[in-house]
Amino acid sequence: MRTLRLPDLRGLVLPLAALIAWDVVAHQGTAHAYVFVPLEQVAASAWESLQSGDLLNGWLASLVRTATGFVIGAALGITLGAVMATWRVADMLINPVYQALRQVPLLGFIPLISLWFGNEEPSKLLVVSLAAFYPTVLNTYEGLRGAQDRHIEVGRLFLATRWQAFRHIILPGALPAVFTGLMQATAFAWLSSIGSELFFDPGPGLGNLMLNGQAAFRMDVVLLCVILIGVTGYLSNTAITLIAGRVLRWRNVR
Amino acid sequence: MAFEPAGTTTKLAITGLAKNYIIDRKPLRVLENINLEVADGEFISVVGRSGCGKSTLLRLISGLENGYSGEIRLDGEIIHAPSLDRGLVFQDPSLLPWMTVRENVAFALSNVRIAKAEKTERVAELIDLVGLKGFETAFPKELSGGMAQRAAIARALVTQPKVLLLDEPLGALDALTRVRLQNELQRIWLKHKMTVIMVTHDVEEAVYLGDRVVIMDPNPGRIRRVVDVPHPHPRDRTSPALHTIRDQVLADLTLGKI
Repeated sequence: MRTLRLPDLRGLVLPLAALIAWDVVAHQGTAHAYVFVPLEQVAASAWESLQSGDLLNGWLASLVRTATGFVIGAALGITLGAVMATWRVADMLINPVYQALRQVPLLGFIPLISLWFGNEEPSKLLVVSLAAFYPTVLNTYEGLRGAQDRHIEVGRLFLATRWQAFRHIILPGALPAVFTGLMQATAFAWLSSIGSELFFDPGPGLGNLMLNGQAAFRMDVVLLCVILIGVTGYLSNTAITLIAGRVLRWRNVR
Repeated sequence: MAFEPAGTTTKLAITGLAKNYIIDRKPLRVLENINLEVADGEFISVVGRSGCGKSTLLRLISGLENGYSGEIRLDGEIIHAPSLDRGLVFQDPSLLPWMTVRENVAFALSNVRIAKAEKTERVAELIDLVGLKGFETAFPKELSGGMAQRAAIARALVTQPKVLLLDEPLGALDALTRVRLQNELQRIWLKHKMTVIMVTHDVEEAVYLGDRVVIMDPNPGRIRRVVDVPHPHPRDRTSPALHTIRDQVLADLTLGKI
């Protein structure tokens, strides 16, 4: 049984301080109020957008795209990383291509992607999948290759079959690295999901809401989106950390 | 009387053993002309300076290393690969960090064809034998160095090996824990009477536990001398007779050419 603990609220100190500072500046005059929107106005616009459904729809559209892209990218990434780590031929054929492609910033692919796959949702999903794909491949590969000799020797001593060695020694040893990859993938996926809305045709999403807000001089809407993006990113990262803590319990015991 | 003389049948026979490592494409001789017969139930200590190949010798007997010339025979059979009839304990306990103590010990039985209930029973028995009862569900990270090494010993013994190989098993422990575990090793060995070959840096430990002490020389690794320790077990650590032998072995080791 885990005891219920009060959440540590110290992490909220800086964001709250920033908001207060923001609000103070916002009330210094109308010129300031344009760039630094008063918080009550942000709250009002939040309420307004909630009622119209814009905000919820945009948030949901971005979130669904991120989650879908994350699952596709991470699944393919783990698979490719595992194949390269365990099969020499694949490693020799694919690894150089992967290492070269990895050097190209995702933004650099956008013209190509838009040419090949258009400017609609599929292209956005592809960008998100790629963003989740790269870090998962790398970390899975290195995790599986990084098995310690002394652990491998324990397997040999007890006549472990190839499968037993993989299942009980190489795979559990690789999981910390795999989770590192997944955490990077969540961050990149969310980032690129919002980013893709700025580069491709407008469609539902938080990035698009921001663009519209900017065009209409509605800084309150922009700020609202920024807050929502930050909070969602933080929550998804926390979720992965919690899962990792559960799976990698052996690492965190004291 | 607790003391029984070691059996007279030869358990392990090493004849004309030599081993090269290839370093910078040149062969480096690490073991040369090793001849040793170990009787059933005997406790052999191996001492020598670093680089004398004592660990390599143990790894060859375990089967983890291969490609030697000469012969290593266990019960007449030539050794060329690991087998469950030889248990090995490393200096580093090398427990699998993602498994609990119980899972680590049980892992040794992965490929032993006995009923599940018997496996469970044997694992519990061994954990009890090494004094880790109550720590079955602890992860290696939660154990002290001494406890982790106890778990490693339990894992090596759970397959009921004919020969137990110990590669500086207590080398990384503090003095007090080391003395305690030496006594435990002696107790376990007296109870099970398996054949033991232990590599160690600690001459006192070698003499205290061993029926015979093998002194090795480096470059290339070879046996200089084998010293008998003709005293019954369990032994008294403070016995002057043991101290005399210890001093002889120590003198022999320190007088040797570099």
